[in-house]
Amino acid sequence: MFRMGKDDQVAIREILSGDKEAYSALVVRHSPSLFRVAFRITGNEADAEDVVQEALLRGYQKLESFESRSNFGTWIYRIAVRCALDKISNRKEDKVSRAAEETDPEQDEVQIAAQSAGPDRLLLSGEIAALEQLALRGLTPTERTAFVLRHLEDRSSEEIAAALGIAPNAAKQAVFRAVHKLRLRLAPLRVRI
Amino acid sequence: MKHLNEEELVEYYYSPDTEACAAEHLASCAECAEAFAALRSDLDEIPVVEPPARNASYGDAVWQSLKDSLPVYENSRWSWLCPNLSLGLWKGLSYAAACGLLIACAFVAGRQWERSLTPTASVRPPQQAQPVPAHPQQRVVVVVLSDHLERSERLLVQLKHADADSEEMISPLRDEARTLLAANRICRQDANKVDDPALAPALKRLDHVLAVLANHPGDLSAAQITRLQDELNASGLLFEVRVLRTRIPEHRTVARTVGGTI
Repeated sequence: MFRMGKDDQVAIREILSGDKEAYSALVVRHSPSLFRVAFRITGNEADAEDVVQEALLRGYQKLESFESRSNFGTWIYRIAVRCALDKISNRKEDKVSRAAEETDPEQDEVQIAAQSAGPDRLLLSGEIAALEQLALRGLTPTERTAFVLRHLEDRSSEEIAAALGIAPNAAKQAVFRAVHKLRLRLAPLRVRI
Repeated sequence: MKHLNEEELVEYYYSPDTEACAAEHLASCAECAEAFAALRSDLDEIPVVEPPARNASYGDAVWQSLKDSLPVYENSRWSWLCPNLSLGLWKGLSYAAACGLLIACAFVAGRQWERSLTPTASVRPPQQAQPVPAHPQQRVVVVVLSDHLERSERLLVQLKHADADSEEMISPLRDEARTLLAANRICRQDANKVDDPALAPALKRLDHVLAVLANHPGDLSAAQITRLQDELNASGLLFEVRVLRTRIPEHRTVARTVGGTI
């Protein structure tokens, strides 16, 4: 959880007083964490950088509505999550992964294992992680975002609900559906001893 | 025994501290424990995606790309009053001030409305409760006509049968006559106003008797008493007063303002 330092409050007051350069301190301080969550949701470096810039731009434009009682870090984090959700929602839904010599999630390319290949080869080839990323892309934007926030960002259901603008119970359901789908899709890759 | 479903297992995986019931069940149910172990294995194997490393100047680079597209906030006209207050707080204060003004207006309007309904019932300070009148308040004498006639009749009866030589009998009659004389004049004025043809002449003759009895300088002589008794018998005044007393309503009153203040 972010903590809003006194510096954040001072910077916000200065910005609202007409000193836009004061925003640079907030940008420098919060950009890394915003990039991290944006990348985890979008799965793409360029998209994540776009999300960071868009979130910080939106945050600046809405700074008058920001209440000083709130935490700026939490507030801008939620904006970044919304931007990332919008980004993956606007992606073409009809993307089809192409078979290729090597698996490349950036290019939506996946290497298809030969029928004769056993589980040992798959494990050793390091392709499972890439396939898991593709499985993650098979989720709906809301499910994917909720799962990333829960599984990777360790956010509670209430925090996920606040970030996505939905009820806490709906956030729980989104996480559950994501887990259920991922387990189904990744089941062939698992080897239980 | 009711087994845990997948949703409950997922919830327990992410929030083990808040799912005490699930923990108890898993400790006693091998089937659910096996299902949970499989779930945990699957979720644990999903790698934590680490974003590409950003260098130390990443924040500055973001700022450089942003700064030209950011407008400058205009300095708030009132910010010098209290720079520590955010816009949200100013809005809250504005709402509070508006509510306070509304309550004050409602209070004043209510007071005005109440005064318009009961203008004399308003509470005033003690010194304003009895303002100094423009003219001194005058005394009002109320005479009950029937009572006056009854007392006059009694006096006339005593006078008729009085011993003219007895000073003890005449002296109380004089005092009573003086008291009745003032009341009789008020009654005469009232009778003249209402134009009562029987009452006014009777009160006039009574006035004469009372005046002689009350105002004669020195003590009345026996001869003067006798002469009054003769006049009384001749005029039939006693009889006339009796008749009037039966005719006048019991509580008819005459009120007159007299000189002097209270």
